[in-house]
Amino acid sequence: MGTSRWSIEQVESVAPSAAAITAAQPLASPARWTGLGADDAALWGSCQGSGSEPYDTMVDHQHVSFTCTCPSRKTPCKHGLALLLLWVRDQVVDTPPPAHVSSWINRRSAKRTASSRSTDVGSASSHSAPEAAPEAAGSETVDAGDVIGESKPTPPMPQPDRNTARNDRVQRMHGGLTELDRWLDDRIRTGLADPSLARYATWDDLAARLVDAQAGSLANRIRRLAGLVGASPGWHDDVLAELGLLHLLSQAGRHLGSLPGPLADAVATAVGWQVKQADVLAGVPDTDHWVVAGRSDVREDRIEVRRHWLRGTSSGQWALCLSFAAYQQSLDTSLRVGTSLHADLHRYPGPALRSLVGARYALPVDPVTPPSQTIAEGCNEVGSMLVAEPWLDRLPVTIRARLARSGEVWALADATGSLPVLNAGTRQFDAGLAMLLAVSEGREVDLTVEWTPHGVVPLSIHLPDRTIDVGPRANTSFVSAA
Amino acid sequence: MKSVDEHWQALVTTALLGTDRREPPEAPQLIADLVADTARTTASERMLAQVAATTAVRRAGVIPGPPLDELAMPDGDDRQPCVPAAVDRWHHITASWPVLEDEWILTLVTAGWRIAPELLPAMLMRHRSDPVRRTRVMVGAGSTGRWLVGHVPDLAARHPNATVTPEALAELPELPIAPELAQLVNRPGAESGGVLAQSLEDGTLGHPHRAMLINLVARVRADALLDIADILGAVDSISPGYGLATVLGDLATTRHRMLDELST
Repeated sequence: MGTSRWSIEQVESVAPSAAAITAAQPLASPARWTGLGADDAALWGSCQGSGSEPYDTMVDHQHVSFTCTCPSRKTPCKHGLALLLLWVRDQVVDTPPPAHVSSWINRRSAKRTASSRSTDVGSASSHSAPEAAPEAAGSETVDAGDVIGESKPTPPMPQPDRNTARNDRVQRMHGGLTELDRWLDDRIRTGLADPSLARYATWDDLAARLVDAQAGSLANRIRRLAGLVGASPGWHDDVLAELGLLHLLSQAGRHLGSLPGPLADAVATAVGWQVKQADVLAGVPDTDHWVVAGRSDVREDRIEVRRHWLRGTSSGQWALCLSFAAYQQSLDTSLRVGTSLHADLHRYPGPALRSLVGARYALPVDPVTPPSQTIAEGCNEVGSMLVAEPWLDRLPVTIRARLARSGEVWALADATGSLPVLNAGTRQFDAGLAMLLAVSEGREVDLTVEWTPHGVVPLSIHLPDRTIDVGPRANTSFVSAA
Repeated sequence: MKSVDEHWQALVTTALLGTDRREPPEAPQLIADLVADTARTTASERMLAQVAATTAVRRAGVIPGPPLDELAMPDGDDRQPCVPAAVDRWHHITASWPVLEDEWILTLVTAGWRIAPELLPAMLMRHRSDPVRRTRVMVGAGSTGRWLVGHVPDLAARHPNATVTPEALAELPELPIAPELAQLVNRPGAESGGVLAQSLEDGTLGHPHRAMLINLVARVRADALLDIADILGAVDSISPGYGLATVLGDLATTRHRMLDELST
């Protein structure tokens, strides 16, 4: 698994069932744990459960193994999953491991070394390096029966070489991308009318393998793609276009070394290469007065994703700040649409819009409206961003337009043309669209919208005296999202 | 020469059948230049390359659709929309103090405001079923409300033929208040607040009376609210009624601010 932090998708992939993740969520709170800690190899902590004594839990996050003193027969148990969730959310501090954790990790290392030797002896004719073989996250040995404190003297193992771990990871990702391309090839050979496309397993199995290959972003794309099958009369168009982009990414991802640096970074990010927040925050900041131009909440699988679109007053550059929340967690509420924030933004590698907010130099103030443009000019702006990264599926743009109808479909229009509003014709009730209609009364207004390949989503209306947030909002029974 | 869009349609048709049954279409020069190499030997590989290149070209060349006719606008309304603070207050009271909502809309209409347009969808949706409240909202919304409902049928009333008397429209609904508390409704704030604070501190009034006390604060005279909030805010923090006093104080403050924002 390497030494980098897991993603939520990776945690979900090792859970024995979706119910196990649900059971783990309430335990994924620091208040429930004592002695929490993490290092490059393991996580550990004691969770107060229903028994009189707390359960001692340890997770080997490099080689995917769990041990816990709870009576559960499931592996991993909910305590192991909760520990991983805490770690994913950056709620476990790095600290030297206690003796029983070191002992457990050392014993596991010794076992692997012994196993590796016996494999080498048994396959003497093969010269392939066993370290390079792709690991499936869920297929590692699981030491559920290990007893904490049972200490057999084992020699201390050397620290894993970071380059080796990185190479392992690249190798796994490469394997996953190769498998993805084979799968895409099968879809193109057998055709989109193949009944297997309607089976969720067709997509879910691939998504799980991509998670194992540490291509989590591609796994998310695959899951979203599964939802497009049969979703609209023109679903074949949508699915084929997405298959094409997946092919583009898998090809580019397998040739990262030959791509220009910024493009290679963008591809790696799109594939799912994880970058530590600390590394991003260590980068050169982009300081400006950032107008929080729009916000949208979208449920992706079991995670609510909040996108805040910021635009630099001086630079005119867009930036994207993401926040995530699982059930009963909170989304970021510190960025209020219609305010301006004097702050440092730290961008992820490459030409990516995604950024983290660093130092804030003042309290948010009411902004000037971001500069708007015609619909044709807005299309040009979106097109120029898509030339750099054709796989982007959401982009912000501020335009001056009015609502209009094209048959049953709502659209934004001006003298230069029109853009359909996403799904407005089929959604039961679109509160944002109704609010835009009520506020504009059919007149042209300044709007920040999110462009998607299937239509635009109105996010905010910029009036002379205030900005009204009309973007899709998370269901508050699922997450806290004021 | 095929356009990129025509080529895309040919690709979709081929993709439906699969390259086992049909060869990929011949690409127009623009796409052919992008995918020209000798590495792709099978039909499916060539097809995938074409699909990827065509998708990228089509996305980057996003262009607007044709201009569309303007919507007919609603008739004008001389009334000013209520201020943004009143909009925020409505959201707050519907979430925390729904007992105040009837008074919010009645005060707004009486004071000559119209409902701020950004509130209309939420208010129309919330009051689809109650004819009295629905009618009040439509009065407060004016022509924009009728125009909006015409465009968004989901916002239409569930009982459009229900009749509402002018008296029902103009009066606040009666809230049950125990007789010994009802006499405080028209007393000055110093007096009614003093009685409430004393009763909460000595335990005469407590959580079993919560609903009645909320109704009382929702109906006391408007000029008593600030005094009541101040007096309840001074209730001894170790007395059993401290929590309830804080709650009632918040209600009094909220109602005072609500009326202030909607005053002419």
